[in-house]
Amino acid sequence: MKRRSIYANIAIAVIVIWTLAPLYWFLKQAFMTPGQIAAFPPALLPLDPQIGAFFNIFGADYTTPGGLELAASGQAGQIIRGLFNSLFVAVVVMILTILLATPLAYTFARLDFPHKNKLLFAILLSVALPPVSTLIPFYTMFVRLGLSGTRTGLILVTLTITIPFVSWMLIGYFRNLPPIERLARIDGFSRLSTFLLIVIPMSKGGIAVGAIIAFLFSWNEYVYAQILVNGTSATTLPAAVSGFLFQHPQPQHLAAALFVTLVPPAVVAFFLQRHVAEMNLVDPVR
Amino acid sequence: MNKWSAELTNLQFALLLAIPVLMFLVLVVAYPLGYAVWMSLHNIRFFGGYQATFIGLENFIAVLRSPQFWEATWITVHFTVKSVVLTMAIGLGLALALARPFPLRDVVRAIVILPWSVSLYGTGIIFLNASQGQTGIASALSYAFGFEQPVNFINEAWVIDVLAVANAWNLAPLVAVFLIANMSTIPSRLYDLASIDRLSALERFLYVTLPPIRFTLFVFTTIATVMSMKLLDLIFVLSRGGPGTSSTTLTFLIYKESFQNLDLGYGAAMSFYLLAGILGSTFLLYFLWGRREVA
Repeated sequence: MKRRSIYANIAIAVIVIWTLAPLYWFLKQAFMTPGQIAAFPPALLPLDPQIGAFFNIFGADYTTPGGLELAASGQAGQIIRGLFNSLFVAVVVMILTILLATPLAYTFARLDFPHKNKLLFAILLSVALPPVSTLIPFYTMFVRLGLSGTRTGLILVTLTITIPFVSWMLIGYFRNLPPIERLARIDGFSRLSTFLLIVIPMSKGGIAVGAIIAFLFSWNEYVYAQILVNGTSATTLPAAVSGFLFQHPQPQHLAAALFVTLVPPAVVAFFLQRHVAEMNLVDPVR
Repeated sequence: MNKWSAELTNLQFALLLAIPVLMFLVLVVAYPLGYAVWMSLHNIRFFGGYQATFIGLENFIAVLRSPQFWEATWITVHFTVKSVVLTMAIGLGLALALARPFPLRDVVRAIVILPWSVSLYGTGIIFLNASQGQTGIASALSYAFGFEQPVNFINEAWVIDVLAVANAWNLAPLVAVFLIANMSTIPSRLYDLASIDRLSALERFLYVTLPPIRFTLFVFTTIATVMSMKLLDLIFVLSRGGPGTSSTTLTFLIYKESFQNLDLGYGAAMSFYLLAGILGSTFLLYFLWGRREVA
């Protein structure tokens, strides 16, 4: 028994190192100066760590205790706007996805009706569609409708991915519920009130996970944002952060900006892993 | 309280709840899809004024004749296989290590789920930094232990492996979270019985843990396959299809043809081959594996 727990501890140490090493290796640069980052061989630890980059990316100059001046980043305006836009888009996408995907998933999971499997297949098809083949059609469509460079446009595009994905997940969840519809019928509930007053309150856990997945997806979406809103006032954080990619002398700003983008999803993901333990995954096509 | 909807048929009720969403999906998905079909049947030129000429299936034939297409197809298969195997193996490993209680388990779980909250472009930036010779972990360790050799993994031989590891790092925690949820429904009594029967650790895994999680493994193998085949952001940030064309997968080739060469019809035709490949592999997985798990 003793020996087993030694192996188990080693396994857990390996897991934690595997998870954190790449993150640490990049994020340490946020606490270094450009000169320190450029040094070779790369340092294992940030020497004289300072937090200047975090001021710089929000548009403030910073002087280190050693007297080194670190100038504010030229990207600061985009970062601040991106942070606000990303939050706005992710919250709207999360709410709309749940409002639209929950009834869709419920009808597919609990009711039988003609052509159900064909319609289900259409949902699967929109999950499989590679974004690279819908980019140009979306772009031309949005230019015509005046939606390019707007948050509304980005929200619409993101919904085309989150709704099928979350519906797919929720179909599996609703299938697992006990057969309460008949009982509700006996008690005089209509279908609609069964759904609204009984099913939804029962499924809070699964719906919460769906909401979180939609939020994370929208927050991290890069390909569409890059083409549809980058460089406009509707830019999102991933698009704004990628602006640093091409400014190689300032990798500490890129690291600090990436650090900032990690905070909201990390909080959200932490709640995700607590909720997901309550839901079981089953086959949506049965 | 709502008599009216109580008398609806299943179909009517389904349409009432689902039709607004289906309409939205049709509008926003069918339009681009139809537009892509239209593009794939035309030769679209921007030089000397925008011009689209109908050329039937010529784009589809040209794609099949292009050596780049076949090279990219092979790279896509290579990347997808490695990336899916790594994702599932690491996801399962994480789940097995974290399923049983141990001190600080909640903290470790919160750490392990972290990579999934990193976006794919972020993963690309992080792994580029950790694996290239100038800034990489391997270089730092090589100097720390006195080998005095920079170690670079961003080269033709290794770049697909770096991409696969990066993708697995990002996706495996999600697999693990769902597997853990699945394993928590296994009655602990079964493990007590297994220890009475003196099953080895391997036997216990094969006969107690594996059967109830096989369906989840299938579902996530499918999801990982689809996501790897349509992956763009990670490759876009990490290797830009290079060095040379060594990491130019189909998605990246389509991106290059459509956005750099502006050959929209050709790119659209190619993307239909990719879509067919994605759907084909999904069905193949279902027929070879999933069909048996459902029963």
